[in-house]
Amino acid sequence: MMEEKLKILYVDDEENNLIGFKAAFRMDYNVLTAASAKEGLSLIEEHPDIKIIFCDQRMPETTGVEFFEEISQRFPEPIRMLLTGYVDIQSVVAAINRGHVFRYLTKPWREPDVKSAIEEGYKFYVTNTTLAARNKELQIANAELDKFAYSVTHDLRGPITGLIGAIEIIKESEDLAEIKHLAELMEESAQRANALIYNIHQHYNLNRGILTIAPIDFEGLLEELIALNQVKKNYPAVKLEMEVIQQDVFRSDRTMLQLIINNLLSNALKYQRREEPNKFVSISVKAGKDGAIIEVKDNGIGIAEKYFQSIFQMFFRANSDEAGSGFGLYNVKDAINKLNGDINIASDVGSGTTFTVSIPQK
Amino acid sequence: MDKAYHFILIDDSKLDGFIGEKVIHNTGRSLSVQVFTDASLALEFIKQRPVDEKKTIVLVDILMPLMTGFDFIEAFLKDVPADKQDNYIINLLSSSINESDLIKSQSYPCVNTFLSKPIKKEMLVEILDKL
Repeated sequence: MMEEKLKILYVDDEENNLIGFKAAFRMDYNVLTAASAKEGLSLIEEHPDIKIIFCDQRMPETTGVEFFEEISQRFPEPIRMLLTGYVDIQSVVAAINRGHVFRYLTKPWREPDVKSAIEEGYKFYVTNTTLAARNKELQIANAELDKFAYSVTHDLRGPITGLIGAIEIIKESEDLAEIKHLAELMEESAQRANALIYNIHQHYNLNRGILTIAPIDFEGLLEELIALNQVKKNYPAVKLEMEVIQQDVFRSDRTMLQLIINNLLSNALKYQRREEPNKFVSISVKAGKDGAIIEVKDNGIGIAEKYFQSIFQMFFRANSDEAGSGFGLYNVKDAINKLNGDINIASDVGSGTTFTVSIPQK
Repeated sequence: MDKAYHFILIDDSKLDGFIGEKVIHNTGRSLSVQVFTDASLALEFIKQRPVDEKKTIVLVDILMPLMTGFDFIEAFLKDVPADKQDNYIINLLSSSINESDLIKSQSYPCVNTFLSKPIKKEMLVEILDKL
């Protein structure tokens, strides 16, 4: 595809100048012309992609400086260049101070001068707009960081202040049963802080990391995750089913998939209903040429429909269980986005949850 | 003799709940202590409970899943009859004093104090003595 021509506007009250300018530059640039400031303004409104504006200084109704002064507030992005036949120092000063012009060219203009002004101006335009976009990104990132710092300090301090309080009690207590009970509660708090730190670490790895695309062996991956979660030891009452149908080579990033499946699996294992006699978790993977569908299903506590959106937000916890850091599903969503995939949830409170993840082939 | 009060402690952390209960007992000025990990259950409890001539000190954590401390206050103001509300002295708890939380807490006349966790006996005694 050919690169689109740079869009330029030339404003001058003398028709001949407009024709001459257009004739000289229409091969290289997309030149729009206007015979008055008013006409020029409506063209700018119509064409937000105008990048460079030339304007004659001496025009009957509005001067070039006045025109630039007017548009520089509303349309700060296009680069402004003033053309004039009379070199008078006053208008130069005004052009710079009031019209914020980038270049000042004398008439009759020479083609190479105009061309070099356009090229220079365009470079300046690109730098400026990229800078503005970067600034905006940074502002968003900063705001997120503030929120993040607040939540992290809160969520980390929470368990730790609890531990300090517990230690105070233990120091005074002679009651062994009480101390043992406290130790159990302390363990939960310490584990929560630990999980949070682990998840933050994962979050940063996720954002820094470059994807490493390789063929995925789902069977091996699942075995690894089951071992990692120590399913038999930690969840002896849960029946775990696993099914992998892999017809074709499936290429993706192993670490991302590991993070996604591991979070879904550990949630499914963790949020079981105590009274359910036949607790189960099932993982099924169908992978082929077009992509992979991963389904993690449980018959645990379930998630109310009103939380379906919020569960993927940072620090959201849909359960007052202390073990949740409010980070797991946020990381899952992030990783899925990195792989251009999608996640769906089907759930009923009291009967279980099914997460379905689809990941395209890389 | 120092006046005694009923206490309701709402905190999603079981450990903080346990510690808080202990600290409240240690003040020697509690008639009763109820601990909840879920604010909505505490609200139910308050609604069901008949009016007592003794006042109740409520200590509620701000950042909790599902129903936050502020949600609790909103629901309390809306669902609990006004004459009953006067019997409850609400105090907010947080493990980090966040400026915007502090400002927000001041917009509720029913909030007595804002306490930084962990709760200590002296902090509670100070509140009780000022009542």
